[in-house]
Amino acid sequence: MKVLVAVKRVVDYNVKVRAKADGSDVDLNNVKMAINPFCEIAVEEAVRLKEAGTATEVVAVSIGDKACQEQIRTALALGADRGIQVETEGAVEPLVVAKLLKGVIEKEQPQLVILGKQSIDGDNNQTGQMLGALTNMAQGTFASEVAIDGDKVNVTREVDGGLQTVSLNLPAIVTTDLRLNEPRYASLPNIMKAKKKPLDVHTPADLGVEPKAHLTTLKVEPPAERQAGIMVESVEQLVDKLKNEAKVIS
Amino acid sequence: MDFELPEEYRMLEELVANFVADHLLPLEPEVLAREAVGVGAYITAEEREALDATSRELGLWGLDAPESMGGMDLPAIALVAVNEHVGKSMVPYVLPPDSPNLRMLDATVNDEQRSRYLEPYVRGETVSAIAISEPGAGSDPAAMKTSAVLRGDEWVLNGRKIWISKADIADHFITMAVTDKAQGARGGISAFLVDSDTPGLSVARKIPMLGGNATYELELSDCRLPASALLGEEGKGFAPMQLRLSTRRLEMATWCIGIAQRALDMLVEYAPQRETFGSALSDKQTVQNWIAEAETDIHAARLMAWHTAWKLDRGDSVRREISMLKAHATEMAWRIVDRSMQGFGAMGMTKELPLQQMANEVRLMRIYDGPTEIHKWVVARDILRG
Ligand SMILES: Cc1cc2nc3c(=O)[nH]c(=O)nc-3n(C[C@H](O)[C@H](O)[C@H](O)COP(=O)(O)OP(=O)(O)OC[C@H]3O[C@@H](n4cnc5c(N)ncnc54)[C@H](O)[C@@H]3O)c2cc1C
Repeated sequence: MKVLVAVKRVVDYNVKVRAKADGSDVDLNNVKMAINPFCEIAVEEAVRLKEAGTATEVVAVSIGDKACQEQIRTALALGADRGIQVETEGAVEPLVVAKLLKGVIEKEQPQLVILGKQSIDGDNNQTGQMLGALTNMAQGTFASEVAIDGDKVNVTREVDGGLQTVSLNLPAIVTTDLRLNEPRYASLPNIMKAKKKPLDVHTPADLGVEPKAHLTTLKVEPPAERQAGIMVESVEQLVDKLKNEAKVIS
Repeated sequence: MDFELPEEYRMLEELVANFVADHLLPLEPEVLAREAVGVGAYITAEEREALDATSRELGLWGLDAPESMGGMDLPAIALVAVNEHVGKSMVPYVLPPDSPNLRMLDATVNDEQRSRYLEPYVRGETVSAIAISEPGAGSDPAAMKTSAVLRGDEWVLNGRKIWISKADIADHFITMAVTDKAQGARGGISAFLVDSDTPGLSVARKIPMLGGNATYELELSDCRLPASALLGEEGKGFAPMQLRLSTRRLEMATWCIGIAQRALDMLVEYAPQRETFGSALSDKQTVQNWIAEAETDIHAARLMAWHTAWKLDRGDSVRREISMLKAHATEMAWRIVDRSMQGFGAMGMTKELPLQQMANEVRLMRIYDGPTEIHKWVVARDILRG
């Protein structure tokens, strides 16, 4: 079984992001970039399937400019077998990503596609679902457990109020939630091996897709600063403030 | 000119940063607490074993050891960032095997010594110490008096060594001794491999030092060694010893960069939160100057370290660079940690924060492997000689 995993280059989750002074975007100057944590979980899951003998090949794909090859390389160091970069410029919106991924799926014919449920930069949570609609493949989103069962995959989903398990026919799309697994570190020998693994570059035209933008970012601004807290003298005072100032109890 | 590290070394840096954050820093409060109650800044055998197991699993073992011995044989340039991260934590752990003796042994061992000393050392089975300094010969090791005399097919060593690290746990000592008094450092000093259980070798005393550290004094009294204990060529022990010292100095400089960076990061996080006289500490020009100067010093030290490592990897002489770097990195780290402690006020004096231990470690580094003044002297002499 071939598994395709999508990985995205995003701002490292430890970085405190700032808006650009003109409010046009997040300031990415001098900022540490990393693989999106949900994508890392996707890679880990694919590699575990391979280690278990269920998957035969893991292909990591990323869409972006040349810099995203670094994240593909990370996926290769984590255990993916080969990489594909679809070369694009500037920001690409979920629909374009989904169309490009569809192009890659048509070329690669994977049995399973694993994506992060969202990336921590845009927090859109759309690509996996759009890809499902475009390809007519079954989708199991927000997965906290993935079990291959013959020509089906059982996906336990984290839904409001509990867990739901769905059984999907392969080929299928899975998007990962935080609790699916805990990704490993790429060990040094595997980092060295990753250098020699193949990484192909495609253009959107190769995949028959024209990356057209439908969305425009109007403004990016930081959240309102939180007011400093105060110490209250007594429980009575606390109740009074919650009632009359914060008006959260009555 | 390319200031960017190759991708795989950046990934290695990331791996080591994660190792430090997830495995070393969690142990640090306990290490600081041990030091605070006066039992030394140590990690237990169990803690060390667990760390060793993780280093091994992640392939962080023998980063600069020869490939023939299962090492990664990475160039110095790859280790600059690695050691910067390792240096940040106050947990006394370096990625094994500790590089300096490895370098010296690798440059000097014969086949028998390779399998008897170097290979077990690379595998992590032995601890290797070095005995150069003496009560009358520190900055000036050429003044050493410990003698080695060939009697029949045995070397007989006599003398005292002092300030020797790891003497309590070492399996062997690379011991420097005078084999030809007339020649001195130019052909009269040799290196020997002395097993710690050799009769005539004894640890005379433990010398407690700053920050829960300790060194030891050794006595060599008619200590008999087989002819095969000679490491490298007779009379030519000084050059490989300098190679060892260079390796350590580059390593120390990068530890200092890590320590300085951490001290700066701590100040940058704290200063905006602490208010005095109605405004944040970070609004004070003095504190802003500390921050700007620290960033500049660290940046300069880092570039010096990259450059020195790059030259070292090309096989160029780095004598002057190593001395400039060792003096600059230790002194700038001392200044930066001190200012960060000042910025934290009384909190900076506590043994709960790592700052005081960082200061202790840097304080020691301004002495060992050559005090700052000696390194400045080396640089000046080198320039003045033209
Ligand atoms: C923590 C620690 C661990 C150590 N571990 C080891 C070890 O494992 N093995 C080992 O062999 N040694 C070890 N040493 C010893 C160390 O290498 C020496 O302390 C160092 O070389 C300085 O020698 P000294 O202490 O005799 O100082 P001295 O040589 O007495 O110098 C004292 C001071 O005089 C000044 N000075 C001396 N000469 C000059 C000059 N020409 N110009 C200007 N100023 C000068 C400097 O300020 C210097 O700090 C260790 C030391 C420490 C602190």
